[in-house]
Amino acid sequence: MSAHPAAEKTRTSPARAPSGFPFGFSRYRNYVLFAATSVFMALGCIGLLEGLYALSKGPEAWNAWLAHMAQPFDLALSLLVLGFTLYFVFRFGWVGRKIGAGRIGPLPRPPLPLPVLGLAPLGGFVTLWLILLAILGGLL
Amino acid sequence: MKLIHKLEPLWWILFGAGGFTACFFLPALLLGGLVLAPQGLLGDGLAYERAHALAASPIGKTFLAAVITLVLWHCAHHMRHLLLDLGGHALAPLAAFGSYGLAVLGTVATLAIVAAL
Repeated sequence: MSAHPAAEKTRTSPARAPSGFPFGFSRYRNYVLFAATSVFMALGCIGLLEGLYALSKGPEAWNAWLAHMAQPFDLALSLLVLGFTLYFVFRFGWVGRKIGAGRIGPLPRPPLPLPVLGLAPLGGFVTLWLILLAILGGLL
Repeated sequence: MKLIHKLEPLWWILFGAGGFTACFFLPALLLGGLVLAPQGLLGDGLAYERAHALAASPIGKTFLAAVITLVLWHCAHHMRHLLLDLGGHALAPLAAFGSYGLAVLGTVATLAIVAAL
């Protein structure tokens, strides 16, 4: 049921892409690039799944997978995937500063300038990565 | 498509949860697992016995299953909207069922592989 009795009779034009979309302006290009990160992040997950599958098959399969991933093509693809993932994370964190700057319920607005609010989540992410890398590297 | 639209809040929850999970953990997993370990730069950190012990522990299994499946659902929702933006609403059924179908397959594969560790 619509809010207004005449609303259902209102005709609207079909949705269409704005002029210049998707590559006409840098704003659009960044938007498409951000969305395309999902393809590379999914590829990264498939790579991790491949590794876990090899791990489940025993030491020979694990070592063979590591040797395969050390090949130049696979290394380049892994670095590309990592690059797109980092782009996603930094853009996500940087957009998130605007959420931090807003007023949520009775909580006072944080007394920090907007760029500092952007650095806080990014600093948190990097700290977590270092801890996780230390665990993977056997330091923790 | 009605069901897809009805479940829109669920897709967005998975998208948001996957986005945060990716920010928290994915770069380190990719750097460690796909770049540093194959190049031998993690020493014995991911030698078979240790890698298996880490991944096959209850915490390791839960962590890996959660991170990979949530990120896959995040990617599926993002890809659906990328396809809609680039191809228009004519692609809506293909974008929705293709993206979420792949996410379902990925989830099943992840759970099966993690359970076999």
